[in-house]
Amino acid sequence: MRIIENQLTSGWGNNFHSLATRISTVSVEEAREALSFANHERGLLPVGLHRSYGDSALNSGGALIDVVGLDQISIDPESALAIVGGGVTIAHLEKAALVHSLFPPVVPGTGYVTMGGAVAADIHGKSHHKTGSFSSCVKRIRILLANGEIADYTPADSEFWTTVGGLGLTGIILEIEIALRRVNSGSVDVSEQRVDNFGQMLELLGTSDRDYEHTVAWIDLSGDYRGRGVVSLANYGSHKEKVNSNHSSKLSLPRVGGKNLIKPITVKAFNEIWFRKPLKKGAVPLTKYMHPLDGINKWNRIYGDKGFLQYQFVVDVGREEIFEHLFAGLRSLKASSFLGVLKKFGVASQAPMSFPRPGWTLTLDYSITVPGLEKFLREFDQELIAAGGRVYLIKDSRLDSQLVPIMYPGFIPWREERRAMDRHHLWQSDQARRLQLC
Amino acid sequence: MLNGFKSPGRIVLIGAESDIGLSIIAQLPKTSSPEVILVGRSGEYALDVTDNTARKKIVEKLFAIGDIDLVIIAVGLLGTDPTMNEADNLVAAMEVNYVGTVHILKLISDRMKSQAHGTILVISSFAQNRPRDDNFGYGSTKAGMDFYARGLAAKLKGTGVTIKILRPGFVESKMTEGMAIPPMTISTDECGRYGAVAIRSKKLVTWAPSQLKYVALIFKVLPLTIFRKITQR
Repeated sequence: MRIIENQLTSGWGNNFHSLATRISTVSVEEAREALSFANHERGLLPVGLHRSYGDSALNSGGALIDVVGLDQISIDPESALAIVGGGVTIAHLEKAALVHSLFPPVVPGTGYVTMGGAVAADIHGKSHHKTGSFSSCVKRIRILLANGEIADYTPADSEFWTTVGGLGLTGIILEIEIALRRVNSGSVDVSEQRVDNFGQMLELLGTSDRDYEHTVAWIDLSGDYRGRGVVSLANYGSHKEKVNSNHSSKLSLPRVGGKNLIKPITVKAFNEIWFRKPLKKGAVPLTKYMHPLDGINKWNRIYGDKGFLQYQFVVDVGREEIFEHLFAGLRSLKASSFLGVLKKFGVASQAPMSFPRPGWTLTLDYSITVPGLEKFLREFDQELIAAGGRVYLIKDSRLDSQLVPIMYPGFIPWREERRAMDRHHLWQSDQARRLQLC
Repeated sequence: MLNGFKSPGRIVLIGAESDIGLSIIAQLPKTSSPEVILVGRSGEYALDVTDNTARKKIVEKLFAIGDIDLVIIAVGLLGTDPTMNEADNLVAAMEVNYVGTVHILKLISDRMKSQAHGTILVISSFAQNRPRDDNFGYGSTKAGMDFYARGLAAKLKGTGVTIKILRPGFVESKMTEGMAIPPMTISTDECGRYGAVAIRSKKLVTWAPSQLKYVALIFKVLPLTIFRKITQR
């Protein structure tokens, strides 16, 4: 067990800086021992690779239990079941699974997410319309509770659903059992199509969901904000071929004087190139297709030292008018985003704090230095609520705490269940304090 | 907790009767809607600044609510109460401006250290710069507090807690009613704006107005006889 006191940690958005004690554990025994390091006021928080954008994985004045060391993987090729440690990353699991022609059915845009984090955020991917969120393939979780007991929960237990999407506030996820899917090859058959406006994008995404396992659209939110973009559709490759799972990234973005390089002009230029780039057609390596963000290490540095935020929300089908208001508002702020992603969600999981539910989800990245952005997003939250929508908490860094119970109707019962699992208020995070989640 | 835009979620003003304190809060960016708790002579969070036990109790009560991102300490006495003699006025000013303020500053910084984040703004004064015939008693209380705040600010490096000092010159307020208006006088609103800037500033000390920094420098190096001649009114 390694302990570093007073370590400065940020979320992926670099817009929070928090001091906490980091306790790195490599075994279940160590994780259990780490519970005794809890400072009774500021508590503990299990953390992984800090890919959450805001303050979900920060605990100022308290302790972080880093579980990245819980990295054992065992796969049974017969049953296609994998038993993996809470610190195993998606990328690591993919690599191990592909050897047996297996693959996790739900993977997010980055492979650098731990299993614990994937459960705690109930992550989703391009396959959501077919597979649902991550919890749909989780058969069992083993969790270290605040009282030091180790419990196994399955989807038949309410504690399972309290933990799924529970932002790490129910215990340390030591191990999960996950049902993998069989794949014939290490690639996907991709078909990309350019669309000239937002209406076409909605149309194409909506109609492609039946025929494609993976659907997502990149949307150009710069210039005239009319919503042109590239829709990417893919199915798992059907041809047997040698599986090549080695696509680790080599580029790393240096720190450019801490300056924010995302300006309307650079975004416009980048987005123009991206819109005009040759469209992919045919086989693309699976991991490369699934994790486009992992092509460049530390890409978050592009926003400079002040950091950025990611805003992701979901809104029901039929409430598309909200996008027009959003685009008009962003346009008047001259807020340009080079990461704009649109996707249509399928069915929701039964976890009360899980984000995905049927509808359109849009993801945007903005430097926190965009003037007027904070106020604008606050106003947009109200519109979102009026339209029955909600934001994704694992990416949030600015929501009003009063809005959480409105956006997540299951929040109050969830909070009671969570308290029952943590009577002494051991699990804490900066986000939990900010949004009064505990 | 601060949000991702560094906007505070909970603010405490100690000195709810202070025009400057209220003005600073009014001048904070209106991008978020923080909870603002006012500590004054009466109300839910009442405090007698000169009472040692009361100071401890109020700080406990405040932090029992949850994390506090920003505390503005704006209690102060000019020590010119005509109903009191000079010596009693001096003691009263010392008790509020030095003993009370420094004690609260220390208590709050200790609590903020355990939460590993927070900002405290204290209101010092141009009067702490150099003893002047008309207000060196008041100036000495502010100088002592300012001295302590600078020491504490340095000691708190690396704890996540920051201290900021606002040094206003002459501010037209309830405290200065009926007094002659010297040059470089600012309004309470203007002072509030400087206070709001001080909170987000990287610098420890903010002067209000900012040109006072240079006046202070010059005043410090002037020979005493000339200094007294200039400042006598």
